[in-house]
Amino acid sequence: VRGLLHLFGKVRPAFEEGGKLRPFRPVYEAMENFFFAPSTATLAAPHVRDPINLKRFMSMVIIALVPCIAAGFFFFGLRFAFMIAVSYAAGGAVEVLFAMVRKEQINEGFLVTGMLFPMILAPGTPFWMVALGAAFGVFVGKEVFGGTGRNLFNPALVGRCFLALAYPKAMSASWLKPAADFSRLFHYVDASNVDAVTTATPLALAKQGEFASLAHMIMGSVAGSIGETSALAIIVGGTFLLLTRVANWRIVASILASFAALAAILHHAQPDRFGSALWHLSAGGLLFGAFFMATDPVTSPSTNAGKWLYGAVIGRSRS
Amino acid sequence: VRLEAVQDHIVLEDLAKEQEHADVDEQEIQHISRKLGSAGIKRYKLLMLGAWQFLYDAHTGALPDPLGTPQALIVSTISLEPFTARGDAQLHTRLLNFTRGLEHLQSLLEYQPIYLVIPNIKSEFADLIRNHIRGYAWVKMVEIPLTYPYDDFAVLARALELPRSKRPVWAMRTEGVLAIDRALTLSKPCLVRVISVGGTGVVSPSHVKVMTGYPLKAIIDKHVFEHTPRVIDGGIMTGETLGTKALGVGAECRGITVLSEPKGREFLGFVRPGSDRGSYSACFLSALMKKFNERLTTAMRGEGRPCISCNFCEEVCPAGLMPHLLHKYMHRDLLEETSRAGVDLCVSCGLCSYVCPSKIDLHAQFMEARRLIEEEKKEIAESKSHSEAAKEVAA
Repeated sequence: VRGLLHLFGKVRPAFEEGGKLRPFRPVYEAMENFFFAPSTATLAAPHVRDPINLKRFMSMVIIALVPCIAAGFFFFGLRFAFMIAVSYAAGGAVEVLFAMVRKEQINEGFLVTGMLFPMILAPGTPFWMVALGAAFGVFVGKEVFGGTGRNLFNPALVGRCFLALAYPKAMSASWLKPAADFSRLFHYVDASNVDAVTTATPLALAKQGEFASLAHMIMGSVAGSIGETSALAIIVGGTFLLLTRVANWRIVASILASFAALAAILHHAQPDRFGSALWHLSAGGLLFGAFFMATDPVTSPSTNAGKWLYGAVIGRSRS
Repeated sequence: VRLEAVQDHIVLEDLAKEQEHADVDEQEIQHISRKLGSAGIKRYKLLMLGAWQFLYDAHTGALPDPLGTPQALIVSTISLEPFTARGDAQLHTRLLNFTRGLEHLQSLLEYQPIYLVIPNIKSEFADLIRNHIRGYAWVKMVEIPLTYPYDDFAVLARALELPRSKRPVWAMRTEGVLAIDRALTLSKPCLVRVISVGGTGVVSPSHVKVMTGYPLKAIIDKHVFEHTPRVIDGGIMTGETLGTKALGVGAECRGITVLSEPKGREFLGFVRPGSDRGSYSACFLSALMKKFNERLTTAMRGEGRPCISCNFCEEVCPAGLMPHLLHKYMHRDLLEETSRAGVDLCVSCGLCSYVCPSKIDLHAQFMEARRLIEEEKKEIAESKSHSEAAKEVAA
């Protein structure tokens, strides 16, 4: 550890004013501060500060995503790891580039965006589309608005919308059948493999009157976006996020309540066309959206009343 | 009296033992008592003997007008900032002086209530006070939650539902009541005060009886073990750093808090479980524990980042403001909006800056905003008077 600190001290001059690598200073600073917390002191009252910082804040979201990531690996195999790597590389490149141009520090937000983005994609999405979507999401969804904290929309969702609008055909052909056992953990599976037949998602099937079993949807062994299929994993991770106070419970509660209420009414009216409220809650990306997307603090309302309303509108429009 | 010369200054030491009668002119007192009545003479005496400075206007924090009448008086015996002295601890030996002080205070007012704020109205100590003030119908004992910043006078006034729009609310702490008793019973000035010496940088936290101007160096030499600590006049949330230029204990000092400055850089600090650090957010392991050890330093504990609207500041603000919104207004230089969003209501508790994960100095920005708004008001007033003067000249 000492050696590493020493190394940082050694290469620092190259990144300072007049150094050869001056434009890369944000990269250097991000690396240094990643390993060693800066020892800056407060200037005025309050003289002590809460230990929470943005690195920790964002790490909590990543930790909360772990159950979903694990479920994604289990059901859709090794390919997911490559999708994450591609998404981080593309999104990170845009973030770093903008930090260099603006001569600002690299913000931790893209660590979350880069993780969330592949999770809302179909498991067979081509890598070039993953890269394009992540870069587009970070660029248009965040950087053009001025960077972290100033964006209007969730960058990961902007990237996803872009892909859905630009390549609807490729997107709908990328759904894979989930694995039934551990065999996929060590296998690279995509749409070209024989054993992974492309298939339709539960909501698409429901249109034709076929309802997937609730147990399958809660465990996650249905077709769908990588991180969204397992209701159980989402609820475990999402509850953790609520307990750490990173996500606001009001938004989640109001989305789920309003959605469930409307779904229950529809089910009551036409039981053969609509599944039960619980079925619809676990189908599709609703849970993932409620816990991980809608609670993004930057793009959600600030006041409590606003949060309730925001959640209710999302819940209604999703049903 | 012992004099000590330190860098062009003379510091008085141990003057406390020499209790001198202040010079209150008998003739002038008679003149004033004819003019203002007995309450007036008492107020005059308090002013002359330096006890009036213990009174505050609860909403503005300023010295109240000696000729004014408040809607109520708040006497607070609590101090909730870490390391500062709690008023009820000071009271145990001087309860008689305290109740006598309350009586004097009542005679200054015209039937306005006195709210006595104590930590626990069911404790033995509270019963003791109750016995002493039995029959004082104008003293109302109130209990408030023991969470910072409920000891702030503006927050107290709000909790007691004393409106800002009416006549001012006066407020004072335990030491003020004792000073008033001393001035009005003994006609002696209150030069000595009990201050706390605490914080993570002191050998053992204690209370010291000092008088204004007592050399800081003597306190630091005796109590502090750190070499280059931060010495704060007041508590860790609202206090002011005492630089090397400060020589003596200030007139309004309530306590000296000593904190260590951060040392070294933590390796991979943000991924540590965090059982040794308490946080408003529940992002550390300490959230699961009732008790844990934490060593406070003046470290910022993170890098400055843009606001992400996490709403922590709004949740903790005792004045009901939206600090993140004010910050965004300030960021765009929208002074009028900042003012309309209530920056004047800020009670300077510092909680917003404390909880901010983006490490934004919100409180400092609000003080800056207030300063700018004041300046603008002054400019407008000046230009108005100028134009009026010009009109008169023209006429």
